[in-house]
Order: sequence, then C-alpha cells, then structure tokens
Amino acid sequence: MTISLVFGLGSLRYSIGQFSNPGPGLFPLLVSCLLFLIGLLTVVRSRFIKPVHLDFNLKNIALILLSLCGFAVISEHLNMIAGIAFMVFCASLAGTSYSVVRNLKVTAGLIAIGLALQKLLGLDLPLF
Amino acid sequence: MDVLHNLAFGFEHALTLQNLLFCAIGCTVGTLVGLLPGLGPLATISLLLPLTYSISTEGALIMLAGIYYGAQYGDSVSAITMKIPHASSIVACIDGYQMTLKGKTGLALFTAGVSSFIGGTVAIVVLSFLAPSLGEVAFLFGPADYCALMLVGFVCVSFVTTGSLLNGMAMCLIGVLLGQIGTDVTSGAQRFTLDLDFLADGVGLVSVALGCFGIAEITKNLDNREERSPFNGKIHLIPTWAEFKRIIPSALRGSVVGSFLGILPGGGPVIAQFGAYAIDKKFSKYKHEIGSGAIEGVAGQAAADEAAARTSFIPLMSIGIPENAVMALMLAAFIVKGIQPGPNMIASHPELFWGLVASMWVGNCFLLILNVPLVRYWLSVFKIPYAVLFPSILFFCCIGTYSVNHNLDDIFITAVFGFIGYVFMRLELDAAPLMLGFILGPMLEENFRRALLLSRGHFTAFLTRPISGTLLGLIGIFIVWQVAAFFWQSRNVTAHP
Repeated sequence: MTISLVFGLGSLRYSIGQFSNPGPGLFPLLVSCLLFLIGLLTVVRSRFIKPVHLDFNLKNIALILLSLCGFAVISEHLNMIAGIAFMVFCASLAGTSYSVVRNLKVTAGLIAIGLALQKLLGLDLPLF
Repeated sequence: MDVLHNLAFGFEHALTLQNLLFCAIGCTVGTLVGLLPGLGPLATISLLLPLTYSISTEGALIMLAGIYYGAQYGDSVSAITMKIPHASSIVACIDGYQMTLKGKTGLALFTAGVSSFIGGTVAIVVLSFLAPSLGEVAFLFGPADYCALMLVGFVCVSFVTTGSLLNGMAMCLIGVLLGQIGTDVTSGAQRFTLDLDFLADGVGLVSVALGCFGIAEITKNLDNREERSPFNGKIHLIPTWAEFKRIIPSALRGSVVGSFLGILPGGGPVIAQFGAYAIDKKFSKYKHEIGSGAIEGVAGQAAADEAAARTSFIPLMSIGIPENAVMALMLAAFIVKGIQPGPNMIASHPELFWGLVASMWVGNCFLLILNVPLVRYWLSVFKIPYAVLFPSILFFCCIGTYSVNHNLDDIFITAVFGFIGYVFMRLELDAAPLMLGFILGPMLEENFRRALLLSRGHFTAFLTRPISGTLLGLIGIFIVWQVAAFFWQSRNVTAHP
C-alpha cells in the first residue's frame, strides 16, 4: 500500500490527460490504484489467516550489502583489486566459518579472473 | 516439407564453428548453474546479459538458451543426488532421491539424462511446427489484445509462482510501477526519477535481476545452512534392458505433457513436471511403485521438464510475449540485440529463429554427453565449499552490473534491489512476477495507451474485440473462482477449527 501511495501520489505530478489522449501520469495512476486495492484486500485477508513468525537474519544481509557497497566505493576511489579484497573479507563474515588463508586464496583467484576478463574479453575494469 | 527445409536452413547456421562453441558454452554453464547452489538460470542469464553486447546476435541467443535448458539437466542431477532442487526439478527430489537412498543413483541419473533428451527432441519437433503457425495468428492481435494477453500472463505467472493470486499480482504491479521509472517515450517526461540523472534511462534490468535473484538467493542460502545428503559419490550408470524398457513409455508421456504445458502462459517446467508425475501415477504399469523410487517417477518428470523448457520459447518467439521470468530475460536479450520477437521475427530473421531451433537439438546432444557419460565428473562440483562459492558469485554480480554502463553507481542500485529481494523472499513473495511486470510494464503501457487512442477513450474496446474479450473473460472467471475458493476454505476452517 505504501508503494502504491508513493507511485500514485507521484503520478499526480504529471499530466493525466484524458482517456482518449492519455498523459504520462494516467497509466501509473491506474496501476497504483489497482495495487492499493490489492493491498486493501490483503489486509482484509490477513484478518482470516493465522499470523506467521518472520525469520529475518539482518546480520547476513547487512554484511552482503556492506561488501557490495564497499566494493563500489573502494573501486571508485582506490582500485578494483582493493575492492575485491574488501568484498571477499567482508562477505565471508556472513559464512559459517572464517579463514584468512582461504579468503586470500579466493581473493587471488578472483583477481586472476578479473585480469582475464580485462585482458582476454576486453572488459574495461579499473583493476589498478 | 517446408519445416524440414527450414530446419535444414537452421542447421546450416547452428553448425557453424562459432555457434557450436556458444552452444557448448551455454550447455556447460547451464549444467554447472543447475548443479550449484545459489545460482539459477535467471541469475546466470542476467549475469551474462551484459557480455552478450560483444558477441554476435545468433551466438548470444544460442548461448543464453543453452544456459536455460542446460540448467534443467543440471538441476535434475543435484535434485537426485543431494535433494537440492535449485532451478525447477522439485519432482525429481521425490523418486530420484529415493533411488539414491536405495543405492541406484547411477540408474536415476541415466534415466533423467535419457528422458530429458527424449523430452527435448519431441519439444523441438513441436516448436518447429507450432511456432510459425502461432506467429501467423499473432497478426490478428491488436493493442487491446496484447494488453489482455499480457494480463493473462500476469495472472497465470502470479498464481503459479506464488500460489496466491493476490500476492503474485501485487508483485507484478510493483514490477510494472518500477518499470515506469525513467523517461516516458511518448511525452518525453521524466517520471519518478527524483531528479537523479542516472535514473533518466530507468532502473537497469540487470541490477533488478541480480539484486532480486542473485544477492537475495545468496543471503537466503547463508541463512539456511543447507544439510548434505547420504550420497557417497559412487555411481553405476548402465541400466539393464528391463530397466531401459521402463524408461521409454514414461519419457514419451512426459514429453507430450511437457510440450503442451510449456506453451501455456504461466506454464513451464515446474507445472509440466507435476503434470507428468500425476499422469504416470495414474496410467503407468508400475504406478504402485511411484513415490518410493520408481524409474517412471524420474523419467516422466525429467522429459516433461526439458520439453516444457523448450516449448516455453513458442509464445516468446511467435507472439513476442514471454510466459515466465526466464523468457522475460530472453526477451530482454533479444531487445538488447535490437530484435523484437514476434510474428515478424520469423519472416525477417529466419536465420535467427531456425538457427536457434536447430541449436536446441545440437544442445540436446551436448547435454546428453555431458549428463550421462560425463556426469561423474560433474558430481565433484559438490565438493566446492559454499564459503568459496558465494564470494565468487558476489564478484560476478558486481562485474555483471558494472559492465552494462561501466558505472560503479549501478552496484548501489543492485544492493538496494538485493535488500528488497531478500525482504520479499523472507515474506515468501516470489520475485519472478515482479521481474515479469518490470519487463512487460513499458510494453503494457504502450499498448494500453495505443488501444485507448484507437478507441477514442472507450474501455469497451477491450471487451468488444473477440480475442481480448475472451481473454479478459477467462481472467474474470479465474478471479471469481479464486475468491469463491478462499471463502469456501475460510468457512471450512471456521466450521472445523
């Protein structure tokens, strides 16, 4: 319902036009209204269904997202090799076991793949 | 005879050295991703989509198609030996894994490989005959009919993938709204871009796909800590003649069921497997054994799985409407290469259409070799620890996202969609309808606006045209049936708590 409100209210900023000559706001407005209706029906339906416990492990998703964002920031400001190393060491914290030696080997392997992609396939990777 | 002539023309293109190489790469990568946890054909195709910019159109599409149907083979192997279905082989877990527990892993793998080959071959025959005919029917479609057809696809995919029409439709509509971000093609207005320049071209398809499928899947696997099966790595592949004779009828039944169910909107490998399994349970000579490790329980579903994977290309290539999320990505691949699939494609790019069809049979032969005599080598893939695998998959996600626009900012968008995908996954909301809505959204809007323009703003145009009227009627009946089923269930639960 929140998503439908964001897009629905946002679409009012654009011309709605007429049905015979639709503007850029008409279609997103109609879709948002339909989504809002589905949201309402879901709320009504939830009254008839038993609540279910939700299992969120925020630590793992936070580490994975941090490793991705860190990779982008470090690659932008330093180079991609440092970005790869950060990503491997940070993401591995989400695994069941942590080994510095294994992470070094994985990092070396991925850097080699990056080099191969750069030199053999011609991908423009800012490795250095 | 025309079909045979066209197939011969297709083989001329499929059997070039370059296309053979791409077909082999696609089948090998497909088998690998089918085996590996954390990657499926959806994530892999989205990962490799940017790489297709630098290769020929035929080669790119042959490779991506090979990944899709190759993953069905590989998935059967992991389902039979480890009881881990990654892409779609849910039914293979039932009898296939039971055979593993009885020490008949080799026989189960042989059955799955040969049956998949039979299924793939039958489906290619169906594809060759049906796609051109369906393409001619597509000329009768107007904008209103296309809208109705896309809505049928939304409803079917929503129901099939999530099991709940409301949840699935909500995901589809969210996808449609996300597809609205960017510049409106008709008026040139920038919509929902928050005045950010990098959103002017919209949200990248690869970022959404890798975030919702790749990143979310990795995190889910890390949360779950999968268990390992009792499979000891030893297999004996060659069956006895009596065992071999049991494979053929079941595989043929599965091929027919799979070929038919693969064409339907929202159909595809999963439904086809269940359909074939149900038919085997009803009509097989050994139906009493099915469920406890019977050859028929593996053969029928494997053939149906592979057949449906091939025939699901029919609606995409003949009408231009993808019937599931993988086909939606294939549509994106066609568009990336500047080709609009649909009725005109077969006439304007015959080498592409028939080359792709012929390459499917070539790929079938590759997969038979990869998955029957060489299957024991693939099994060593299971020895790679997930701790090594998932940072590597993350790396490929980053490279895949970056290489589309050579823009590191796109990785942040992937991360955002990774989080969204993870939340949806935990809420048990499948991201496949979202992906379908995201890809078809702009096309739906274009046809919707065109239909309104042509009818001078009368919505009755959607109901008075025979094709759209019939399709919308079917949607109406389905919705009424769903509402009635929900209240019937609620009443029963209240009456017998």
